[in-house]
Amino acid sequence: MATEPSRGPLSGPSASADRPDGLAATEVPALAAAFGRAVHDAGLPCSPEHSVRFAQALALARPSNRNRLYWTARTVFVSSREHVTAFDRVFAMVFDGLVDPSGPRGDRTAPPFEHAERRGRAPQPGAPAMDGPQPESDRPGDGLSAGNETPDPDAPERLTAMPVANADERLVHKDFGALAPEELLELARLMRSLEVATPLRRTRRARRHRHGERLDVRATLRHSRRTGGDPVRRVRRRRRLERRPLVVLCDISGSMEPYARAFLQFLHGAVAAADAEAFVFATRLTRLTVALRGAQPQLAISRAAAATPDWSGGTRIGLALQHFNDRHGRRGMARGAVVVIVSDGWERGDPELVAREMQRLRRLAYRIVWVNPRKAARDFVPRAGGMAAALPSCDAFVGGNTLAALSEVVDEIGARR
Amino acid sequence: MSAGARRGAEAAVRERIPDVETLVRRLGETDYLADEGLATALFFAIGLPQPLLLEGEAGVGKTEAAKALAALLDTPLIRVQCYEGIDASEVLYEWNYPRQLLRIRLAETGSDALAEEELFGDDYLIRRPLLRAIEHPGPRPVVLLIDELDRADDDFEAFLLELLAEASLTIPELGTITATHPPIVILTSNRTRDLHDALKRRCLYHWIDYPSAEREAEIVRRRVPTAPAALAADVAAAVRRLRGEEVQKAPGIAEAIDWVAALALLGVQRLDADAAGRTLGTVLKYREDQELVRERGLEHLAVGDGD
Repeated sequence: MATEPSRGPLSGPSASADRPDGLAATEVPALAAAFGRAVHDAGLPCSPEHSVRFAQALALARPSNRNRLYWTARTVFVSSREHVTAFDRVFAMVFDGLVDPSGPRGDRTAPPFEHAERRGRAPQPGAPAMDGPQPESDRPGDGLSAGNETPDPDAPERLTAMPVANADERLVHKDFGALAPEELLELARLMRSLEVATPLRRTRRARRHRHGERLDVRATLRHSRRTGGDPVRRVRRRRRLERRPLVVLCDISGSMEPYARAFLQFLHGAVAAADAEAFVFATRLTRLTVALRGAQPQLAISRAAAATPDWSGGTRIGLALQHFNDRHGRRGMARGAVVVIVSDGWERGDPELVAREMQRLRRLAYRIVWVNPRKAARDFVPRAGGMAAALPSCDAFVGGNTLAALSEVVDEIGARR
Repeated sequence: MSAGARRGAEAAVRERIPDVETLVRRLGETDYLADEGLATALFFAIGLPQPLLLEGEAGVGKTEAAKALAALLDTPLIRVQCYEGIDASEVLYEWNYPRQLLRIRLAETGSDALAEEELFGDDYLIRRPLLRAIEHPGPRPVVLLIDELDRADDDFEAFLLELLAEASLTIPELGTITATHPPIVILTSNRTRDLHDALKRRCLYHWIDYPSAEREAEIVRRRVPTAPAALAADVAAAVRRLRGEEVQKAPGIAEAIDWVAALALLGVQRLDADAAGRTLGTVLKYREDQELVRERGLEHLAVGDGD
């Protein structure tokens, strides 16, 4: 850190007489740059632009106390509520010299997730990512996907391509819970050929279309000026089609542990392919969409694992659903969306709450698909308290414990109501 | 853009708001009580100048902040309400085609010749909010409020970004129009989706929290002058308690104001269980929420000196 914490901009003795607050004019840019760097080092999104702006702001209104300085810096550097805690820490560190500079650990934008893993915070899911073999090199995986016919715009909106190469056959039907770490890696590759897509819906927005159902009066008139004011050419519009949003909530509690890694890979695929919103829950709900974004699946998954505080904890499905409904679903994330819940339905809390929150979610969502990897077990009866309470509100109930079964999940995601 | 004009505008604004304290005081005069954080953010939005992105729960006064700012600057507030599918032509400008067509027809029948420039003149231009904000002649810049940006599509966001960065726009038939007084831009979002990082990077940011009970009581009294002070304090405390409960939709400041107004209309002096029961619909808009609160007991709400 370039700024000496001992000499804050407010308390330090004045080096120049022209600034009554003790900030020499030449110190401001240096201070702004150093603080910007500290913010950046803490993993917050920050560019030199921010530092420049901070310097301008300091020049515009010299902060007369710590509080004002705090708000000036926060207004400039923070761009999301989630960053406030991390920012506060940096601010305290630089201007008060109080906090241990090893920085924020729980923050998902912070870089050191590999270290977090080596400390063993994320047991199963992160481990094989770093040192496992690269599967692509020795496997001719290109001919797998059945999706090489040209897409027809009016064809069914859901495309499910199943990988059926011989070498991968055993993986396709193997229970996720029984996969070895290197098999998980291959699974990730195979999962990429699953095409997750939600059904289409019509938006308010219209687009010009030769066979559109509505006449575009404005465009027709505009064209008619070329033909002396007679509307010779009619312009039509058709409502634009758009995919419904997809939300995936995945249970990572103790009872789901064998499946957690595989489903995290599925989450990553869903975020990448269908722009899904991804959440995981055990005792509490964690949003992973941002952590899972990015092309590098293993990296994204490690990052997600590090961002999740309650791996293998107890299950509070009802609370997690309530949290989701309150904080995200009702605000619009779940409205008209396809919601996928991956869980075995073992609820430690009150099944009543599960039932109530499922009903709320049902009123918001387009379809609810419940994926229970234990469904395939021969003696399975959906009797677990949470499962029984949730089922009446579900539109589909599928297994999804193998890759083959997962294609069923993909089908359900694309299904119409 | 003439640099002189722009500096003039800034001077005119700066004269009115030389520092944060003045801004707080003058916002107070328009009955908007801003805390230190929000006032600082608004001050820099005007002074730097830089667009300001305001986020916060529904009903904490995001839109009101922009209105108050416009009022104290004595300048128009131009508002763009975003919605899914909002389009550039709906916020920028459009040519008045029917009128142009009529003019052509008129020219055909009559004797007066028609010049093309005439057809693409001012008379035929329909000005939408963003164009009006950029064209504003002064003497002070307008306050441009882009409300609920999260509802618009992300391509609209990108378009807006470009416009705001340049403070100018090009109409092919007329040329480029550059703002002599770049608008003071306030964007609000309810966080139904994440805004693009590029947009966030260009904006100042402030998260508006619920105010403290005292401040809220003060806000409510400013808005409902007929209400007794004790009632305002009761309601502020009750609303605060409701926000702590597990209600689906926590009441915002707007709901608190509605509630006090309703109670004042009934002639209630202090909040009690009976009065709360009769007016619960002004604060809780979900049946489940109302049931929950009734179950826990309305007296619980009416205890005025709980915290």
